[in-house]
Amino acid sequence: MENPRTELSGHRVLVGNRGEIAIRIMQACLKLGVAFTAIYTPEDKESTHVSFAREHGGEHGLYMVSSYHDANELMAVADVSGCTAVHPGYGFFAEDFRFARRVVKRDRKMIFLGPSWKIIRELGDKINTKRLARSLGVPTVPGSDRPIYDEMEAENIAEDVFDFQLQQGIDHPLVLIKASAGGGGMGIEEVDDIDQFRSVYRRVRNYAARQFKDEGVLIEQRVTDFNHLEVQIIGDRSGKNQVHFGTRNCSIQSTGRQKRLEVAPGFDPSVNEYNFDANKVLDAITQYSLTMAREVGYDSVGTWEWIVTRQGAPFLMEVNTRIQVENGVSASIARVKGQAGVDLIAEQIRTGLGEPLGYTQQDIEFEGFALEYRLIAEAPENNFTPWVGTIDRFRWKEHPWLSVHTQVPKSPYNIPTEFDPNLALAIVWGKDLGELKERGLVFLKELELQGHNAAGEPMKNNIAFLMEKTPQILKF
Amino acid sequence: MDNLFLKRIQSLRDRLSYMQDIFAGKHADSVSLLLQKLDEFTEKVNNDSLTNPYDELVALEDLFKYVEARLDASITPLDKVRIVRHPQRICLRDILENVYDNFTEVGGQDEHSIDPSMVIARAVIIRRRGKKRYTQSVMVIGQEKGHGAEFRNGGSVKPWGNAKARQFMRVAETEGIPVHTYIFTPGSFPIEDYPGAAQQIARNIYCMAGLRVPVVSVISEGGSGGAEAIGLADKRLMLSNGYYSVISPEGAAAIEGHCRGGERPSQELVEKCACNLKLTAEDNLRFGYIDKIIQEPPLGARSYHFDFFRQLRQEILLATDEVVLSAKLSPFKKIGVSHRNKPGVNLDEMYMRWSLTQSAKTRLVKKRQNKFLKLSREAAVDKRPFLTKALHTLDDLVMTPVNEFKYEFYRKHQRKIHAFLEEAENEWDVFRSWLRKPFGKQEEQKVKEAVSSELTSLSTWSDGQRHKRWNYLSPRYKIDQAVTCPNAEIYGCPDLWGPDLFAEFAGVCSNCGHHFPMEPEWYVRNVFDVGTVMEFNEEIEAGNPLEYPNFDKTIRAAQEKTGCKSGCMTFEARIDNIKVVVAMLMGTFRGGSFGAAEGYKFVEAAQRATKNRYPFIAYVHGTAGIRIQEGTNGVIQMPRCTIAVHRYIENGGLYMVLYDTNSFAGPVASFLGCSPYQFAIRSSNIGFAGPGVIKSTTGMDVPPHYHSCYKAMDRGHIQGIWDRRQMRHNLIQALQTIGGRNLYYR
Repeated sequence: MENPRTELSGHRVLVGNRGEIAIRIMQACLKLGVAFTAIYTPEDKESTHVSFAREHGGEHGLYMVSSYHDANELMAVADVSGCTAVHPGYGFFAEDFRFARRVVKRDRKMIFLGPSWKIIRELGDKINTKRLARSLGVPTVPGSDRPIYDEMEAENIAEDVFDFQLQQGIDHPLVLIKASAGGGGMGIEEVDDIDQFRSVYRRVRNYAARQFKDEGVLIEQRVTDFNHLEVQIIGDRSGKNQVHFGTRNCSIQSTGRQKRLEVAPGFDPSVNEYNFDANKVLDAITQYSLTMAREVGYDSVGTWEWIVTRQGAPFLMEVNTRIQVENGVSASIARVKGQAGVDLIAEQIRTGLGEPLGYTQQDIEFEGFALEYRLIAEAPENNFTPWVGTIDRFRWKEHPWLSVHTQVPKSPYNIPTEFDPNLALAIVWGKDLGELKERGLVFLKELELQGHNAAGEPMKNNIAFLMEKTPQILKF
Repeated sequence: MDNLFLKRIQSLRDRLSYMQDIFAGKHADSVSLLLQKLDEFTEKVNNDSLTNPYDELVALEDLFKYVEARLDASITPLDKVRIVRHPQRICLRDILENVYDNFTEVGGQDEHSIDPSMVIARAVIIRRRGKKRYTQSVMVIGQEKGHGAEFRNGGSVKPWGNAKARQFMRVAETEGIPVHTYIFTPGSFPIEDYPGAAQQIARNIYCMAGLRVPVVSVISEGGSGGAEAIGLADKRLMLSNGYYSVISPEGAAAIEGHCRGGERPSQELVEKCACNLKLTAEDNLRFGYIDKIIQEPPLGARSYHFDFFRQLRQEILLATDEVVLSAKLSPFKKIGVSHRNKPGVNLDEMYMRWSLTQSAKTRLVKKRQNKFLKLSREAAVDKRPFLTKALHTLDDLVMTPVNEFKYEFYRKHQRKIHAFLEEAENEWDVFRSWLRKPFGKQEEQKVKEAVSSELTSLSTWSDGQRHKRWNYLSPRYKIDQAVTCPNAEIYGCPDLWGPDLFAEFAGVCSNCGHHFPMEPEWYVRNVFDVGTVMEFNEEIEAGNPLEYPNFDKTIRAAQEKTGCKSGCMTFEARIDNIKVVVAMLMGTFRGGSFGAAEGYKFVEAAQRATKNRYPFIAYVHGTAGIRIQEGTNGVIQMPRCTIAVHRYIENGGLYMVLYDTNSFAGPVASFLGCSPYQFAIRSSNIGFAGPGVIKSTTGMDVPPHYHSCYKAMDRGHIQGIWDRRQMRHNLIQALQTIGGRNLYYR
């Protein structure tokens, strides 16, 4: 990381995102000495990412667009400001292989700061990912790994999946029927009785034919009792140097399966008891993830998502071919060549622009535990309903073990309703799990987050929920 | 002066104003001479200064006759167009009253009719032999212009009027009486309703292609599709001043002069187009599209030309007799025809039965079909080498009986043997499993292990090309540009990136599903099995049969642009290993216009499909209608191709039509619209006349999406709408589930 950045200084990165991730990308650019151009929409004009860009971006540092979703507008801004690379952040275009392809294939070519579009496409397809995993001996959820079009075949597989679960000692076996072309939870139904299978199968098939023009379905075991784990991977443009930055446990989620609290590393057998050898499982999923990353020549940051059952069986769920919200948790426990202050976003930009990684797995060590709170204006007691209004006061006490990423300014701030509801991310570090929980609670208690809505009612937030969950982290 | 005398003067005045109308300012000297004479004469009548009024009147009438006869010789095509449109022109009711002996109009009385522009009548003709009188019934069907009565809509028939015509053709078929049709139409009323104009005309033509009674038609004003709706006849007579054309001269001139909106083409251009279109009776007789010309009195037949009606009656009787004779296997056939064609013969005094036996009816229909199938071949440029043609004929001669044997005899017996073997195999399986029973348990355990490994390890799946979905990409994918979806304002579609849209998305908006037009090659390469497309008859070229000025160049330019010799590509291909014959109308070749060459290839393709018992698919990438520069050489393709398709379907084939982009006018109103299975690719438009033409001809405002395929489905015209990306899949599905009895692969 001490290399002279001569080849980086000629670049300008289009920050194709908003909020805290935009700020973190801009900060990383500043750190690397790379120019950047940020964008914002009228709803976001009070956001800190706008003032940050105005302050540090210089000429061509900030442009207003009508939508973060309009690729044409992003390209126009990039052309006008002379950008040479695009960082999509997370959400929006982050996992859109067509956008990535457009960036590198258009007449004025740029660099897409993410994996190559072919990798995004390959790993974005759940059937492809599953088949790739199986071809490498990586465990996946039992069931079909190709779209099933034939009703008889589908029913046979479903019967097998039921029998298989009974053999494993599962009392209430469940089978999932998924539209193979679907995504984002659409076209998925579960069955607990083989007699119901046919009618549900036909419903899903017809839905898939209508919605995705493809009748194929996947039939899988529905795993119910599990922890959600992740492996953080990074590789450089050579496609040969992949290293991991440890594991994370993201099992504390809202009812809608949105993450609220993430912890690194994934398990702590020194404090908590598990039905399985936790270190062995963490090792296994890390190695499996690296195997796959090497197979595809992974060349950016990415996350391998796993579910681990109560018996300790890991199954690969999917691969997120982008930087994730919770990347800071892994960074804060990582030490590269003994140095703290790892910034995965900066690493992504630096390697994305062509610099070699510059270190190997041996240079990476881990120290302590970290967690991330996602502070959100919502009512956890009422099904996590989002709350809309104005934030009047948002203060926290600075600590050396704490970093907070937020787009919320010190002045009163209207929460835009159009976007992702995250207000702030707070990352806490502790030398062991006990200290981590303690510090987490200290932070939450010191936190001041107040506001009101149009009816004058006080702000609702998830602080109490996070407090309640903190003692339970890393418990299965 | 007595009343009759004044009436005769009035009649002369009418004749004069008629003359002025039809010549529209030409021959002004003759007209002013007559006017002067007539005025002088009237003056004298008013002053009572005529010495010999009747003689002088006769003299004046003779002068009129003389001038009319002289002017008749210099009549131009456009004058003829004005003649047939004139309110004084004979109309169908004049004919019913004067040619037939008695009649009952069915389904209408003046304006009280489902469509007053279509008149149907059961008429009788009484003939004598010696002292015996014979009454013969016919079904008279025709457009009624009613001397300009507004409710007759100028003889422009609405779809339900044509439906009525078809209904009574069927009645005539049931009753076994001949049909006489009289064509007095500038064209069909281009309305899209329930049904649409094109949809109904197609049904009519399909019906007439197989109508099992003699049909004789008389053309006065034969305006394209409207004329064909009742025009497919065993014999077609034409009045000498009539016209039979693909489009009105004004319409042709508007296209030629690139007129937009309400702009009108110049008079000279209209005159020129009228000549170029070769729309007169003589021209059409020369092409062979009519059988005979009935000479009219000078300057055109009007209601008082009673001699003409007598002549028309003779001609109608002769034509009907000849048609009936031609279908009979009578020993007196030849004599009968020659008797009837002797000069001065009075057919009223010769009787012959018009009813036919079943086998004679079959011969009649076959004869009619063959006659049309032979037409217009010379109008296309056939550049096939002699050897190819000879091989073609030889193949026909040999393969027809071979296929007959193969499918009618061999396959049937093969099936029986197959069924027997299958049964035997079943029994053997049952026996074998009984033998194996004692060793069952071990096998069960093996099965269990196999199952769990199947659920967790990689399965075999031979669909490795999931991302290489298309074998052909539109060349537009190379252009780095943003494309705006036309529905962006309604559905808020984001702009699409050209390279995505024209490659991976197959030209479909990823938000609303709007289909952008793709090239014909896209379908050829992406729908059919790779490497199985085999084009045939590609040497048949679009020509310029009317020698339309400058049109050779235009055609050559289109050929160079598309690399095709005509707007119709015919090929054999396999789809999921099922062999099919495909005729593709390409919207890229002169807007997909349809002429003699295209018709030739289409008919050949249908015959090939019949011979080989393959499914026949008409893929309409786009068609703007009949190619106007080919005149009636184009129009005649409507009945011709419909007949080819009719034969194919009646022989047990599966004829499927698939519309894409824009399909309008003639082809839709005939051989495409008559298919029992018609589908459309999304975002296509289907109809009779485009919105501009509807506005300019009817004055009607056209509602939005008037011709969209969804509306066409509402009207019952098409049977389904397909996504372009699903076309191959849907075709396979259709081939497996619908179709005729004679397809071998089923």
